[in-house]
Amino acid sequence: MTSQVETLPIACHQVGVRYGRTQALDQASFQVEPGQVYALLGRNGSGKTSLVRCLLGHQKPTAGRIELFGQDVWSARQTLMHRVGVVAEEPDAPPLMTTRQLVRFCGSLYPTWDQAGVDQRLGRFRIPLDLPFGRLSRGQKGQVSLALALGPKPSLLVLDDPTLGLDAVARREVYDELLGELGERGTTVLITTHDLAGIEGLADRIGILHQGRLLVDASLEDLKARHRKVSWAPSQAVAPTDLAPFAPLWSRTGSLGGEAILTQGDPSQLPGLQVHPLSLEELFVALVGEAEVAS
Amino acid sequence: MSILAVTRREWTGRRNVLLLGLGYSVLQLIGLSFESDMKIAYEKSIFMSVGVGIGLAWVIALLFGATMVSRDLEERRFGFFLNQPLHAAQIFLGKVLAGLGLALLAGLLASVPALLLGGMWRQFLLKDAGSILGIGLAGSLFLLLLFHAVSIQVRSRSLWLLLDLVTWTAFFAGVRWLSQRLMGAWAFQDLVHLWLGLLAGGTLGLGIAGYLQVAQGRADLQRGHRWVSVTLALTAGLLLLAGWVDTAWVLKHRPPVAWTSQPGNRSR
Repeated sequence: MTSQVETLPIACHQVGVRYGRTQALDQASFQVEPGQVYALLGRNGSGKTSLVRCLLGHQKPTAGRIELFGQDVWSARQTLMHRVGVVAEEPDAPPLMTTRQLVRFCGSLYPTWDQAGVDQRLGRFRIPLDLPFGRLSRGQKGQVSLALALGPKPSLLVLDDPTLGLDAVARREVYDELLGELGERGTTVLITTHDLAGIEGLADRIGILHQGRLLVDASLEDLKARHRKVSWAPSQAVAPTDLAPFAPLWSRTGSLGGEAILTQGDPSQLPGLQVHPLSLEELFVALVGEAEVAS
Repeated sequence: MSILAVTRREWTGRRNVLLLGLGYSVLQLIGLSFESDMKIAYEKSIFMSVGVGIGLAWVIALLFGATMVSRDLEERRFGFFLNQPLHAAQIFLGKVLAGLGLALLAGLLASVPALLLGGMWRQFLLKDAGSILGIGLAGSLFLLLLFHAVSIQVRSRSLWLLLDLVTWTAFFAGVRWLSQRLMGAWAFQDLVHLWLGLLAGGTLGLGIAGYLQVAQGRADLQRGHRWVSVTLALTAGLLLLAGWVDTAWVLKHRPPVAWTSQPGNRSR
């Protein structure tokens, strides 16, 4: 038991963050297993950034604690950062430093620095090495940040909305790079994102934050197995009472028919219902929407 | 090594300020070339160069201190340092070293060429270089740390600013009271010692406050402000206490001032 806890890349215990009277994060607890890709989702202002700041030792939580690899991140930040690569939401490298200077700066801090790997990645991304970071495009800044984060061959990668503001091609390149890293080294990844379609093929486990609370913490497989999307034609008379045994999370009826997301039972038994595969985005909207109605 | 990496990174972003020193130096040399009486011109240039050199170093230190951490925090760039395996002391000292280095180098660039050309470097520079550099360095360090603390206090916009105001007011009132007591006893040398002691103690306190702001505040500007405020309030309290003890000791052991009236002034 002890050794398992010690090797967990991330363990959050009842983490709370308060700004004055605002409770930004309330008793968030979750764990990320080695090699897992954990996608932390939530609407703007749900507490994701506060959680990531605490997770990286930038901010001390007002309650609870966070351990990375069995060590308290607030007190052992410097040691832990040897094993953690970070891509911040807003690219935060000094704007006047060129990419070449940034690579030299970061490379001098890590004994495990993979210079060849960084050079290859920057080459693949076609980054001009002698242009100041501040003059790169939004996409290029994200790519440089990713290359620097992967430079020390980290055991844990924390990506705070790495595809924010990127076009489809740059987004694809980021995900391809991540897939390559996962395939080669099995790095553990915690990623926050609004790009639900992009992350769907990568994530093993999903956490959904809503108004500071962790609404969902489950494997994507489980979530999809537990929730079914059904639809029916306008000619089919499906009443709410028909769906009740399947504990609908969300339903909608209109002139074009109806659809619902059900949380239990086998809906194919009900005549006239068509069962569809459920996307992460649909699941997210339904879960958050339901939580908003409830609150 | 990591401290130097931080220092180098700070230099990369701000080394353009060295052009100020170089620019002033060139202007001074151009001015000298138009003077008819070169001896007087060179003597003037020595005092101007030293004054401007120290002044420039202090201004750069002040501006550097006011932006070295607080601007990064406000623009949310400080995380870049925190995401690296750098200790808070390495981040803070690296930045302080960069600021001092830039300030001193700019000061030297502004003053040394004119001094060398003035031909008085043998008599003047070598003899006084140590004290001039010392004054430049000590002043730069104090201003850099002071404005670092002030910029954190101002930019965080938290209620801890009230404690800061109370601290500063009480500190200056206390220093004024102690100074008046020493001046009343004509203990001017002790007064200078008191001020130098307060300056040294204040610099140390500001240094500790700056380090704690980075180590305990990290990316949280308000939390950093809290640490700065508490550290400075404690430092001010300790310094005033030490100053009070010192002043009391001086006044107790000093012979009373002998007032002698001149015969012609005696009133009837």
